[in-house]
Amino acid sequence: MAASILNTTVVLRLPLSASRQWVWLISGLTVLVALVGLISCWLNSDIAAPLRPGLDFTGGTQIQLERDCGESCLDLKSIAVSNPVQSLTLPSEDDEPVPNLRSARVQLLDGGESLVLRVPTLTAAQGQALIAAVEPIAGPFVSGGQSVDTIGPSLGRQLLRSTLISLVVALSGIALYISFRYDGRYAFLALVALAHDVIIVSGVFAWLGLLIQLEVDSLFAVALLTIAGYSVNDTVVVFDRIRERARAEAGLGLSTQVDQAVSATLTRTLYTSGTTLLPLLALIFFGGATLYWFAIALALGVVVGSWSSIALAPSVLTLWEPRAEA
Amino acid sequence: MARYQGWFAFVLALAIAAGMFLVRTPLQLGLDLRGGSQLTVQVQPAGDINVVGDREMEAVKAVLDRRVNGLGVAESTLQTVGTDQLVLQLPGEQDPTAAARVLGDTALLEFRAQREGTEAKFRSLRQLQSQARAILQLRKDQRRRGETPDELNLDDLKDVQESLGLNTEGGSDDEPLQTLLDQADDELLTLLEPAALTGQQLLTAGRQPLQNNPNSWEVTLNFNAEGAEAFADLTQSIAGSDRLLAITLDNTLISAASVGPQFKSAGISGGAATISGNFDAQTARELEVKLRGGSLPLPVEVVEVRTIGPTLGAENIRRSLMAALSGLALVGVFMTVAYRLPGAVAVVALSLYALFNLSVYALIPVTLTLPGIAGFILSIGMAVDANVLIFERIKDELRRGNTLIRSIDTGFSEAFSSILDGHLTTLISCAALFFLGTGLVKGFAATLGIGVLLSLFTALTCTRVLLRFLMGYAGLRQPTYFIAQGQRPSTTA
Repeated sequence: MAASILNTTVVLRLPLSASRQWVWLISGLTVLVALVGLISCWLNSDIAAPLRPGLDFTGGTQIQLERDCGESCLDLKSIAVSNPVQSLTLPSEDDEPVPNLRSARVQLLDGGESLVLRVPTLTAAQGQALIAAVEPIAGPFVSGGQSVDTIGPSLGRQLLRSTLISLVVALSGIALYISFRYDGRYAFLALVALAHDVIIVSGVFAWLGLLIQLEVDSLFAVALLTIAGYSVNDTVVVFDRIRERARAEAGLGLSTQVDQAVSATLTRTLYTSGTTLLPLLALIFFGGATLYWFAIALALGVVVGSWSSIALAPSVLTLWEPRAEA
Repeated sequence: MARYQGWFAFVLALAIAAGMFLVRTPLQLGLDLRGGSQLTVQVQPAGDINVVGDREMEAVKAVLDRRVNGLGVAESTLQTVGTDQLVLQLPGEQDPTAAARVLGDTALLEFRAQREGTEAKFRSLRQLQSQARAILQLRKDQRRRGETPDELNLDDLKDVQESLGLNTEGGSDDEPLQTLLDQADDELLTLLEPAALTGQQLLTAGRQPLQNNPNSWEVTLNFNAEGAEAFADLTQSIAGSDRLLAITLDNTLISAASVGPQFKSAGISGGAATISGNFDAQTARELEVKLRGGSLPLPVEVVEVRTIGPTLGAENIRRSLMAALSGLALVGVFMTVAYRLPGAVAVVALSLYALFNLSVYALIPVTLTLPGIAGFILSIGMAVDANVLIFERIKDELRRGNTLIRSIDTGFSEAFSSILDGHLTTLISCAALFFLGTGLVKGFAATLGIGVLLSLFTALTCTRVLLRFLMGYAGLRQPTYFIAQGQRPSTTA
């Protein structure tokens, strides 16, 4: 294919290199705010971790009950449930100590239609006893509409460990693949873009943990891993174009090649992010409460991921340009 | 052209096969979608075994398998997860209490003779225990009726307890009593000879109600030849004496009986015995199940119990399906508006994509869970990305004034390398998640990974074949079906 034909049709829609300082400022500030959130969470004696860990990581029992109450659902205040629960004494079982319910937390979701109880680890029988004790206050409950999760504390640590290990392995694998298909610079930049995306999304959830006591569960870990995959996928396509431009227009400066590549892939990146967002928005609006925050984390990741692959990664790449040509 | 007709027939046949397969083989739904209980047990190293290996896991699983079958829950599955965990799924089961009890006990059954000269102490310990149990039962009944039990008064037990050197210091509520019972248990065990016979020599176990009291049950045992001989020897050695035959389960005395003098000559032969130790129908059945399953080679601990009601599951399915369908519909509308004819072709290809995905889930089979559905929905996004990449390239080619057919072919080949890179990087993280992750992370990685692989196939094959097949009709070979008139150089028609 003749290079001259290619040359005529590239329309510069985004003079990225010229405004790269702005890109870095925006990304830098956002990452800073995210880091402040993560660190404040860590310093908060109530949380003492970068994110507020949920049941999946801390261990304990969570009971979710669907209430059969219609209009009157709104009348119940969570304090009306939490007070009696906290003073409840559960039956002892075998020779285990009876769990103390003083730390029990009660949450009302979906306009009072479902009730979530978080308590220290209970045995199955103690869980049933607790449900029976709550029934006169918050009942009647939809029969078959209850879920009881009990997770031992060791399991939470295992989950955290296996998630971190798989994250490290996945990232190394991706870095190796890009180094092999492109070169080390691209692999490094893909990881920078990825870290940028993951830090911002985690930061938002750290702030949510501080402000509305939102806890992260294992689904959030899944979301972060997905965002990592998506971010790289998005960035790689832009890199693929830059490489193609570099081959076709070897004479042009790196900045120009990057600008052309970003302009050429702009429609694609926006369309793809848009079409990925559509099912996620559908999940947010129509999906159950279980997947609500999961979908929000993913949607946020898609938006941030598009930004980092359109703007951040290519603009950092132009730093490698020899000064004379700039 | 004939080449594309052949391919078209192939894709069509594949779609029909997938559809028929899907109708015949229902999808497996996870417990979060249809309701049920899931228990995770962790095998603990004990004794000489510091690390739980494959052989130990197999032995533990075999025992638990037999116990689970004894529970009689339809479709229950027991799977090894990671290196030292087993996950039991009980579809439809809403009360995992019994299952947790049956799984968690080691069930080490031992028959031990009482040591000589310990009769008095043995008797007073047993008496103390039965008194303590009676008080405990009383207090439990009071609580059940909603009354507050009286202040614990242990004065009656004081004399005998002190003569035995047990203490009841500390603790609140029932704890002193519980401590007392535990200490008496430990004390009793020191009065017994080593085990002459264990649950390993059991042939089978059963249960029956007592003749004089149908609410009270006993568990019946049948030994194998070796066990029958050992049992005869054991009973012979203590027949006619004041020494008792003790039966212990997990190092707790559950029953003690005297052997009459008539067995002095040959012991109790025939290899059968009964344990009548205060069982009701439920506890007798649980002990029978545990004994039949055999004792666990290593202790286990129930570390996770999840229960979800069936309607909550149905609600989850309905909402997630709704989200998936509305998301797909929106994507379809968008693609058709943005890319015209190829967009409509992509909608067909994406429908095939969804069909292939579901039939692969049924084929492998993949148990569909909520995170699994999320992975599927996300993979739709990736599949669309592949189509967008191709169509953008085709548009580029058309803007340069290339012919339609040539633009299509170049579009596919130009887009290939970025599609491949994007899909492979996603596949790499899916593999890491699948092999290193646990539980729901695995389910998510499985559906996303399958989705990514199939997306490579549908985007590069289905979309292309359909598009080229349609190009066989002259009426459809209109550049305006691909791109707005104004965006093409006017020199080429």
